[in-house]
Amino acid sequence: MACAKVPLDELHVTQPSGPQGKERTLPALHPDRKEERCFLTFKPPPEDGTPALLEEFLEHAQFISEDLEWLLALPHDKFWCQVVFDESLQRCLDSYLSHAPRSLDPSGISSSPAVADMQRNVHRSVFMVFLRMATHKESKENFITPAVFAEIIYNNYLFDIPKILDLCVLFGKGNSQLVHKMIENIFTQQPSYYGDLDETIPSIIQVFDSILQKCGIQSDDQPLKLNANRCLTAMTMSEEELADLVLYMCDTCTTVHSFLDIFPEACSTFKQHNFLNRLSSFYEIVVPDLEKAVKKRNFNKSIQENMWRQVSHSRKKMVEIAHLLLQHSCLQPILEGSENVVSFVEDLLQNFTAFLQEKRFLADYDEQFPIVDDISLLQQAFPLLDDTRTSYLLQGVESAWEFVGKKKSFPS
Amino acid sequence: MAPPRLTGALRSFSTVSKQDDSTHDLYDLKTKRLKRQEIFARDGLTWQKIVQFFTQHLEKKDQPAATRELKNILQAAKHIVGTDFGQDTIESAGVFLFKTFHNKDQISHEETRAIKQMFGPFPASPAESCCAAVGRLVAQIGESQVDAFIQTQSSLKTVNSGSVFGRNIAFSFDAYALDAHDTMPWSEETDMDQALDF
Repeated sequence: MACAKVPLDELHVTQPSGPQGKERTLPALHPDRKEERCFLTFKPPPEDGTPALLEEFLEHAQFISEDLEWLLALPHDKFWCQVVFDESLQRCLDSYLSHAPRSLDPSGISSSPAVADMQRNVHRSVFMVFLRMATHKESKENFITPAVFAEIIYNNYLFDIPKILDLCVLFGKGNSQLVHKMIENIFTQQPSYYGDLDETIPSIIQVFDSILQKCGIQSDDQPLKLNANRCLTAMTMSEEELADLVLYMCDTCTTVHSFLDIFPEACSTFKQHNFLNRLSSFYEIVVPDLEKAVKKRNFNKSIQENMWRQVSHSRKKMVEIAHLLLQHSCLQPILEGSENVVSFVEDLLQNFTAFLQEKRFLADYDEQFPIVDDISLLQQAFPLLDDTRTSYLLQGVESAWEFVGKKKSFPS
Repeated sequence: MAPPRLTGALRSFSTVSKQDDSTHDLYDLKTKRLKRQEIFARDGLTWQKIVQFFTQHLEKKDQPAATRELKNILQAAKHIVGTDFGQDTIESAGVFLFKTFHNKDQISHEETRAIKQMFGPFPASPAESCCAAVGRLVAQIGESQVDAFIQTQSSLKTVNSGSVFGRNIAFSFDAYALDAHDTMPWSEETDMDQALDF
């Protein structure tokens, strides 16, 4: 068995092998030490409460729950053999992240207590498995050399950017500190994840573009398609398509927000992709379009109500994403008195100035995070601030409020 | 149909995830049950040991009754697993049923679920007759002695919660949810506007 104070990647074990029970020595982390367990993939609970389907879900989930419990009870070396060499386990975990019900979904939480209980068991176990996989040092005796750990998790796709985003959105609300510790450790040990994040952000921006396209709107930097005139719009697409589109936007905004909220270290990578400008212009175009469609179209009231809440939720999340990006990549360095304070001030003012053309976004941003407060902070931290420029900015904010027909509520 | 997700799009279109065909399942419920039976069959407790235990612990005059009950259990096991399987599988199922029923007076939801997990859907009457046969058999020796026998023979350990990773980690089930206040503008309700060592 495992010797004390030797990392798993250097450890060897002697175990019986073959029908005669001869002993052989092999690395502790070896495919032959994996157990054939046959993990099942996770399927979400059935939307209709048919007893037969519910029973099938429960049976399926019971297997998963028991298998994950078994996995978590394995000693450190056996756990890692299973994690690295058992493809069915990785598929099981990935299927949970992909298909687990989310409370933002219209059919998010099951009304059956048995299903809800089972769902909770699996939910907790999946999280604990990911937590254990993100831990290279479990105890003084059980650990992996950090560089080897970094290779293992990256080369075997134990974590990838979509999985990390799923972990944030599924588990981050109530376990933000643990999830932050997990992700921080993953990115610290394996900086290649920053490169992957960098590669992923254009795809996130593409998701915004595809939402615009589905609404029959072209983003500014995309050429007009030949069949653009024949495109459906939010007012003309089918009810199901509109519901899917709104849910897609809601999920996208919630996911990006939860990730940045939990792991603000990623803000600078997002900012490098001009994400703020893309986000604010997306907001400016898509929010009124979808709000109008949800309000004016005639369909089932509860679906309509739910869609409205999803659009409102997305609005808030987009504004909060913008604030997180500005706070972590401009405001905080200024307030902490970092070396290049002038460039951070300039960057912040440029971002605010860029918001001036997105009046709906600017008014909503200012409502949640008053720009005058940030300017006032800036003036204290950086007395050389150009008054003309800040006055221009604040006038722009006032005019944005007028443009959207809102009245500011001033504190009494 | 699966709801649209950002991460679903990223898995499909970005290059940072493992690209494999995850549309088909590696294993289905049937395969899983067979695997479970296989794992159970490796248990230290075997049908021979059960037979031997009753032969050794019962007086000669009580043995014919015990043999009859053991046969009943195997017969029920055969009905539950189906006729396509060999003697080894039937005996292994007999061990499972004996273990499941040895301290039960009747079949509750828990036992039904355990049997279904192992063998799939099964007829109720063989299970009931098996439960009764196990009860009569155990009564001849006493539950505590049978319990001790099972404990010493079983090599498959039930998961000990004390050794499970994460047992002491506080976990919250809180999830991101839509704000209940964001109701439609014309609605009356609103005015619109532990320490792990990383």
